[in-house]
Amino acid sequence: MATNLNIEQPSSSAAVPLLNRRMAMALLGLMVLVGGLAGIIRLFAGLGRTTALIDAYPWGIWIGFDFTLIAFAGAGFTMAGLVHVLHQHKYHDAVRPAILAGLAGYVAVLLLLVLDLGRPDRFYHFIFFWNIHSPLFEISWCVLLYTTVLLLEVSPFLLERINRPVSEKLLRVSHGIMPVVAVVGVTLSSLHQSTLGTLYLNMPHRLHALWYSPALPVLFFVSSIMAGLCLATLAYGGASYVLRRPAKRAIVDGLLRLAGWLALIYLALKLGDLLVSGELALIWSAGAYSAWWWLEMSLGLILPLALLFIPALRRRPWTPVVAPLLLLFGVMMNRFNATMFGQILQPEVSYSPHLLEWLSTIGIIGAAVMAWLLGVRFLAIFEQKKAAHE
Amino acid sequence: MTAQPTLSRRDFLKTAGVGAAAVTATCVLGSQASPALASGPASENGWAMLIDTTRCTGCQSCALACKEVKSRPNPTVEPTALSSEAYTFIDLRPQADSEATINVKRQCMHCQHPACVSACTVGALRKTADGPVTYDDKKCIGCRYCQYACPFGVPTYDWNNPLGLIHKCDLCVQRLAEGERPACVASCPAGALHFGRRTDMIAQARARIRSNQRRYVDKVYGEHEAGGTSMLYLSGVPFSQLGLPELGEQTISHQAEAVMAKTPLVAASVATLATGLYWLLKRRDLKLNEAQVTLPQEDSHGH
Repeated sequence: MATNLNIEQPSSSAAVPLLNRRMAMALLGLMVLVGGLAGIIRLFAGLGRTTALIDAYPWGIWIGFDFTLIAFAGAGFTMAGLVHVLHQHKYHDAVRPAILAGLAGYVAVLLLLVLDLGRPDRFYHFIFFWNIHSPLFEISWCVLLYTTVLLLEVSPFLLERINRPVSEKLLRVSHGIMPVVAVVGVTLSSLHQSTLGTLYLNMPHRLHALWYSPALPVLFFVSSIMAGLCLATLAYGGASYVLRRPAKRAIVDGLLRLAGWLALIYLALKLGDLLVSGELALIWSAGAYSAWWWLEMSLGLILPLALLFIPALRRRPWTPVVAPLLLLFGVMMNRFNATMFGQILQPEVSYSPHLLEWLSTIGIIGAAVMAWLLGVRFLAIFEQKKAAHE
Repeated sequence: MTAQPTLSRRDFLKTAGVGAAAVTATCVLGSQASPALASGPASENGWAMLIDTTRCTGCQSCALACKEVKSRPNPTVEPTALSSEAYTFIDLRPQADSEATINVKRQCMHCQHPACVSACTVGALRKTADGPVTYDDKKCIGCRYCQYACPFGVPTYDWNNPLGLIHKCDLCVQRLAEGERPACVASCPAGALHFGRRTDMIAQARARIRSNQRRYVDKVYGEHEAGGTSMLYLSGVPFSQLGLPELGEQTISHQAEAVMAKTPLVAASVATLATGLYWLLKRRDLKLNEAQVTLPQEDSHGH
């Protein structure tokens, strides 16, 4: 047995208990209820009456959170790749919480997208009407196929809870195909995580040079792995906490070390890109754009890097929680800057999200968190049976 | 069931390879199945419109004629912007040193290589060989990506409709098929709109500039902008005063299309790399295991 250490055990841990759990669920349930209602109102009333979106500002917080959630949900392919493809079995315990978070994330993404579509009734059209030049076409297909992959990857969590001969058989099949599923998942994710960056290459006239770059596909891909590792760390810690199991220090430390290196590479790419394009001066001279850039980079990349690489800070008990949270914040700011704050607008154009946009977003994210928590509680999230690997 | 780890491992490997091959094949086939919709060779001689802003009086006849032909709501209200109600209007731009306005007709530019067409998720927007950029309202899902890709701010969404769609000028493709000119051209009382083949319109614009050098700035806007447009503008003042964006000669979507063209390659590379690493590292693990004492591995199947 590896040395099991309680790494994020607040003193109150013994007292987190049913009442709090119930209260959390009640709060989440309320969010889902209100958000669901907001979503239904939007579907029947149309975008004009329920959002602040206009022709000069057609994408708002729904798209911002959508692209953020896809990056976060990169936890699924990152961990499946790390353990099922690259055989880093020491991270085994962290795979399932991450894959479950990936599935919850992608389902939330699909719900948000349906709300955002002008014709939600036609959400499936991309299956029949093709445009292979369109980044969004590729993303749609990859998200559809990858959500299927996630369902396959999650199915054993459920099957292991069902003591029937048929589930035994299905489990064997599932174990047999898991390597293929993982390879396909990694491939599909590499494609659409990077294509989300390609998406912005079609708006050179709209996206500020602090974010617009031919390297966007690479930047989006690298940051999705970084975000994936961070969410996987938190999901593992969170699942351990919910199930009152000690989190293994080796897993948390290892994931955070990987996340730190990814963050370092990402920082180098971001700065190198601005340096090569000769646009580095914009980080001081572009007014509000510079400010957004600094918020993204300082709080979301440089500070967490300091936490992860300066030994004295690295040893703090809150670092394993705060550092990944900050890196996730940085990725979120990046997606929001690309979608909203980094957009070049006519001076008279502004957008301040409608209440219904907020409520529906909060509701859908609440549903994802709730589904994940319930999954952790009721599915085989820390395998009891020894699995595919010897 | 007695497990035979080595055998099943080999099976895993095979299936992984098959899976990777399948992904690759799907991507390669996919790329061949659909011909280049977005940036097929744009006809240099498609229909085009020459808009002489020095002749435009700003009467909005074109805008109202368009509304009527396209059955837009509020047919008698003169529009002040592009919207789902108005596919064209005349932008009356005040000048600093004069009472008179500069009148700039705005509508879809019908680009030679339209970024909206390249971006459209479901291929609802198309560049026809004859010039018009058309829109299929049966396909559109309302994602509004075209609004971001268009550098001219042309596609508009019908925000007040719960099942809203994108709206924009289609160069009266229906009237063209019937041998008629677009409604705006037919309705212009000032002789500001000319319609014909693109090369002819460019030649005519050049001839006008040559014959009246004091009237015109020596530039035809749209000849090269963003790879060229079917709408060509003449102006008496620098084009920066017309509210038309300053654009280079590169098409808007060239970078995105170059990356998208690599999709099959990326898919094949990642799938191959992942399968290769899976296999190599698995072998390494196996060797490590062999080096150790053979441990019972059937535990997993007994209860």
